[in-house]
Amino acid sequence: MTVSMPIWRPRPSGLRCEPQRFVSAVAQGERRLAHARSERWVSLLATVCGLLLVAAAAEIVIDAAAGPSPVVPKSPQLAGWLGGLGERLGYRGFLIALLISVAAYAGLAALVRRFHDEAISKRWAIVLVAALQLIVFVGPIMLSTDVFSYVAYARMGVEHGLNPYTHGPVAIVHDPIYRYVGHDWDRVATAYGPLYTLLSYPLALLGVVGALWGMKLEALLASAGTLALTWRCARARGFDPVAAILVVGANPLYVIYGLGGAHNDLIMMLAMMAAVSLTITGTSSSRREAGAAALVVAGALTKATVAVLLPFMIVSKRRLAPIVGTVAALVVGALIGYAAFGVHGIDIVAALNRDAAFVSTDSFANEIAHLLGKPGVFPVDHDLLKGALVLILVHLLWRTWRGYDWIAASGWALLAIAVTSTWLLAWYILWPLPLAVVTRDRRLLAATLIVQGLFIAHQISPLLVPVQ
Amino acid sequence: MNVWRIETTLLVLVGVLLAIATVNDLARQASTNHRLVADLSTWRHYTEHDYHNISIDQETLGTNNQREVLCGNTSAGAPGSNTQICLAIWGPTVNGRRTVHGGWYLPPYVEDLPTERYGCFGTPVRRLCTR
Repeated sequence: MTVSMPIWRPRPSGLRCEPQRFVSAVAQGERRLAHARSERWVSLLATVCGLLLVAAAAEIVIDAAAGPSPVVPKSPQLAGWLGGLGERLGYRGFLIALLISVAAYAGLAALVRRFHDEAISKRWAIVLVAALQLIVFVGPIMLSTDVFSYVAYARMGVEHGLNPYTHGPVAIVHDPIYRYVGHDWDRVATAYGPLYTLLSYPLALLGVVGALWGMKLEALLASAGTLALTWRCARARGFDPVAAILVVGANPLYVIYGLGGAHNDLIMMLAMMAAVSLTITGTSSSRREAGAAALVVAGALTKATVAVLLPFMIVSKRRLAPIVGTVAALVVGALIGYAAFGVHGIDIVAALNRDAAFVSTDSFANEIAHLLGKPGVFPVDHDLLKGALVLILVHLLWRTWRGYDWIAASGWALLAIAVTSTWLLAWYILWPLPLAVVTRDRRLLAATLIVQGLFIAHQISPLLVPVQ
Repeated sequence: MNVWRIETTLLVLVGVLLAIATVNDLARQASTNHRLVADLSTWRHYTEHDYHNISIDQETLGTNNQREVLCGNTSAGAPGSNTQICLAIWGPTVNGRRTVHGGWYLPPYVEDLPTERYGCFGTPVRRLCTR
């Protein structure tokens, strides 16, 4: 009988002539033991990475609440109750905590990539991401004065009857929010879409502190929504949703810079992921495709950048529905924008052109100019960069026409916009991240994380100077 | 070669370019920071005041030539509230400090303009003072 007959075979170690039945039992036992051991190790390492992320975020928030800091813009008291717990946050301390976060995030990302859901449970991932978001939510505004501009534009419309598309915050110089608006922006009219401006108007009624908490809450809810939709999209596409939300929700730039500054990019990303979710979950239908296109337009009426998704969606679907959705949403949005703010409220292109002329020290264009021995970016460089971006977009459209995933193409387009922009800020390189975790082209995620890593590396020069 | 390979090759090349540009800029910033720390130390050593509110101007003596003008109070007080002493500093960093080649004084609460400078010292910077 074959079943009871011992089968002999050489083994690399152990006894040479064991029956296979016996060998298999032992090997399986060993495998199970090794698997259990590795699972324990993965669990332990993931826990250590998670704790480091939480500790670094808590350290930054508690110290930021302790008093004046180069990381915290001048702001009304928002997190006074945390004030006595930490020490004043210096830039070096912030950078060290940020680097610890980055190392822990990289470790966590490597673990989820290598071991998937073997030792990192769904509940653990959700608790970690929620903890990170809540820690930053309760703290002060960090690393940007943008949120004060949002509140200033809202107060201009609601409290002072001024059109934020024709006046800068300097028009309300006696308003209590004015002293917190970034100096570079006090004469600049809003560059955000009319939908976002109208969304921010009710918050102006809550007073300055109330409006700031309202903005923080908006950012938190938008982040939670983005993460929930990322989970949904990842699952619909057959990816590990735990890995997807960890890569997005535990990302130090997303948490510390994006949520820490209560940026409206998170609202734009929510609309973007809602549109993506409509197209890849459930059964495909014209209504869903039209709805997805309308959601992208809604996102663009918050922050125009997300409009770059539309051509890829339309080229990919090759149906009338996304075009109808786009046109219908544009007409409704334009009517509302025109009724509320006049022609300036719908002239988003002018605002984009104005902002595209700015240069930030962290932009790759500026770094390459320095590499080439130039003091900075010149007007001709802006034209070259725009030309390069157009070429990239045309190539991506051609690839999408040939069957490439439109979501990946959209992610590449958003990444290309950030990399070719002369005005690069940390939260701009978050845009492609949720798309990158729900596409099969793994190059997009790698490229996004590398660009983020280079951005963070560029921040660390203060650490290279001896402490005075 | 298929499109995928061409794209990947281009992506790697762009990545390498961005990495080189970032590292180069980081080194440039670190070198500038080292120089400015040496300048601050030089100002404090020269004036014998351990003040921290010292302004650094990188344009008066020309851009991209690593020559700086540092101005600070001659006695304790809010920034610019007392007579200020400005030092023109350039040259290599030796023992954490650089060389003072001259300077001038400014009255309180004024910007560093040629018409406001007085008591100039040091031949190389005398042309920057009008009185």
